[in-house]
Amino acid sequence: MLKKKNFVFLLVMVFSLAILVACGDQTTTVAPEEQAKEIITIKAQTAGAETRRVDNLVAAAEKLNKELVAEGKNIVVEVETSIFDGGWADYYRQFKLAFRAQKEPDIYAVGHPNIGWLASGGYILPLCQLKEAAAYQDIFPVLWEAVTWNDQIWGAPLDLEVRPVFFRVDVLQKLGWSEAEIKNLPEKVRAGAFTVEDMTQLGKEAQAAGLVEWGILHRPTDGPEFHMMAKNFGAQLYDPAQDKLIFDKPAILKTLQYLHGLTQNEKVTPEAITTMEWKQVHQMMIDGQALFWYGGIWNVFNYVAQGMPFDEVMDKFDFMLVPAAEKGGNPITLSHPFVYTVSAQTEHPELVTRLLELVAAPEFQAANVETGHLPITKSGIKHERVQADPFLSTVTYMIEYTTFQPNHPDFVSYGGAFYKAIQAVQLGRKTPAEALDAMEAQIKSDIGDNIIIKEG
Amino acid sequence: MKRWFLPYLMLSPFLILVVMFYVIPAFITVMLAFTDMNYAMEWRFAGLVNFEKIFTDPFLPVIVWNTCKYVGGTLFFNVVFGFVLALLSTYYIQHEKSGIFFRALWMLPRISPPVVYVLLFLWFFAPGQYGLLNALSAIFLGVEPQNWLSEYAMLIVILANGFVGASFGMIIFSSAIRAIPQDIFRAAKVDGATEFAITKEIILPLMKWPVMFVSVWQLLSLLTSFEYILLLTGGGPFLDTEVWSLYSYHRAFVGFEFGYGAALALVMVFTAFFLTALMLKLFDFNRMIKSSRID
Repeated sequence: MLKKKNFVFLLVMVFSLAILVACGDQTTTVAPEEQAKEIITIKAQTAGAETRRVDNLVAAAEKLNKELVAEGKNIVVEVETSIFDGGWADYYRQFKLAFRAQKEPDIYAVGHPNIGWLASGGYILPLCQLKEAAAYQDIFPVLWEAVTWNDQIWGAPLDLEVRPVFFRVDVLQKLGWSEAEIKNLPEKVRAGAFTVEDMTQLGKEAQAAGLVEWGILHRPTDGPEFHMMAKNFGAQLYDPAQDKLIFDKPAILKTLQYLHGLTQNEKVTPEAITTMEWKQVHQMMIDGQALFWYGGIWNVFNYVAQGMPFDEVMDKFDFMLVPAAEKGGNPITLSHPFVYTVSAQTEHPELVTRLLELVAAPEFQAANVETGHLPITKSGIKHERVQADPFLSTVTYMIEYTTFQPNHPDFVSYGGAFYKAIQAVQLGRKTPAEALDAMEAQIKSDIGDNIIIKEG
Repeated sequence: MKRWFLPYLMLSPFLILVVMFYVIPAFITVMLAFTDMNYAMEWRFAGLVNFEKIFTDPFLPVIVWNTCKYVGGTLFFNVVFGFVLALLSTYYIQHEKSGIFFRALWMLPRISPPVVYVLLFLWFFAPGQYGLLNALSAIFLGVEPQNWLSEYAMLIVILANGFVGASFGMIIFSSAIRAIPQDIFRAAKVDGATEFAITKEIILPLMKWPVMFVSVWQLLSLLTSFEYILLLTGGGPFLDTEVWSLYSYHRAFVGFEFGYGAALALVMVFTAFFLTALMLKLFDFNRMIKSSRID
């Protein structure tokens, strides 16, 4: 009996061992293949709530890996993403320091005006080859302007927004406007028949009727909208031939006069708007305390985040281009596209470039709608996800009217001086002429001869 | 091992830390001030260009004046208000536990994280109907909303810093008042001195040393600190609360003019040395540290 038991025990042990050995054999036969695959990690970084900007790269890497397998290459690309949480100045600073420590991301997603300092500081690689790539052939051509500096392409546009003027439909209804008149307002703006002056007067009319507290609101902090207004008054900000910024005094004076008029003469904008919080300004629009808002398409999602249901936003607001400065003139908007830039120290420039080509595919572009951004390509716009969006599909025409800020390293200093002048006139501390003189003095002190002063 | 070497060996961990975190950064700042380092972060010697630029900077007069208002105003508030708090909670409130509770209340701004503390200020003084002060004044006084942060920016900055700083003075002055022998107060009362006379003739003259210490300490800290201003107004509106240290920060870390920012910081260091020496002279520091002539 015992012998039989021992025999069974031995048999089980031998069998188990055989299974283990068999399994072991299997792994060792697979292991050499697995080990041969070289894993290449590409680091990508962005900032803010739009994590899709790097998530798209992760998804594009899957496509790239399939291509690499088909090509018989033993490479696996992994995208390691990071989201910076903090202010923009901190975001730029940490990149500079990381670059010096050789710990920077391979792909750095950033607003396009940063290309100036990134390129001239030697932080990023030129990406001129992207212009020829098949994936970028149906990009809105105007977008290349946003990534060009010194006649070279330095970034891959990744999403797009426009800055329309929001207006409260319910306020216009109460003012006695017919449905047709309200619906036609964006077209009137497009045709140049409704100007910024008309906008001010309409705001005043709504205030006088007691329908709103304020006629027009604009951003409470320094930013691109003010340069858009300057462009609307004819300002030329940059001379690409000389790679110099332009201080266009007559146009800047007109802009300062306009902004001064809003708070000090017409009183359609709160004098202290530049001391307000973003949320507070959004809340004023949500509560119907103002008629017009110099906004951006993503603000729809800010309103939703602050408690206004999306359908109500669509119901209460309509959107138009920034009206022309003069009757018959061209309306305007401004885009500040985010772009992928590639570190000058990356060890895998070819793979990164391939990744940037793949991420321009319509399905990734269509994902931009998640955060209220537009695709950069025409095929992206045609994607069913974009077409099905009740809001974005109505503002895509604005891309035709878009403009950009210049990609110049000194634009931060220029913008800072301009914003100080804006604050001074809006608070009534300086007249537009005095603010212009102070702005010129600061620009000369900060930028020196590296700016063209246009007198008239 | 030689005997002289041992103390240095024992001190070496601290010496290394001091050298790494104080001496080397100070040295780098001095070096930076003579370069035109910008966004490219390259060391390029530029001589005295940054210092010339400081004196031709169109905003310099405003920034110097703002710094004087901010440092002077906050220092005055810190010392006077700190002294009043100490006097009330140590001398006039004789019940010790009540005094401690009162002082602990005034420590709250100091132990609150600056961001939270400043958010409360922003919410309190917010313009429009959403601000607490505006809402309260509309209910009780029926007045229109005011733009507190643009009209009284510097005053609000001084108050925000003052409430934090006053607790420092309060603690120092409280312990100084406690250190005065009770016999002196009793003798004064027997002689018929009023409470005001005791404050003026006994407590105040004995506060010279702590007042000097608090003034010099706070002066140095106010000259270099800007975090509450940065969070509260960012130096605005316009340039209304832009002080020297904040301007240096803005130039270096927002405008990416690291060389110019360092030069501004260097000038501030020398200004701080000068003002400290002036304060010590004003308080007759040399006489204060001499041993007492009465023994």
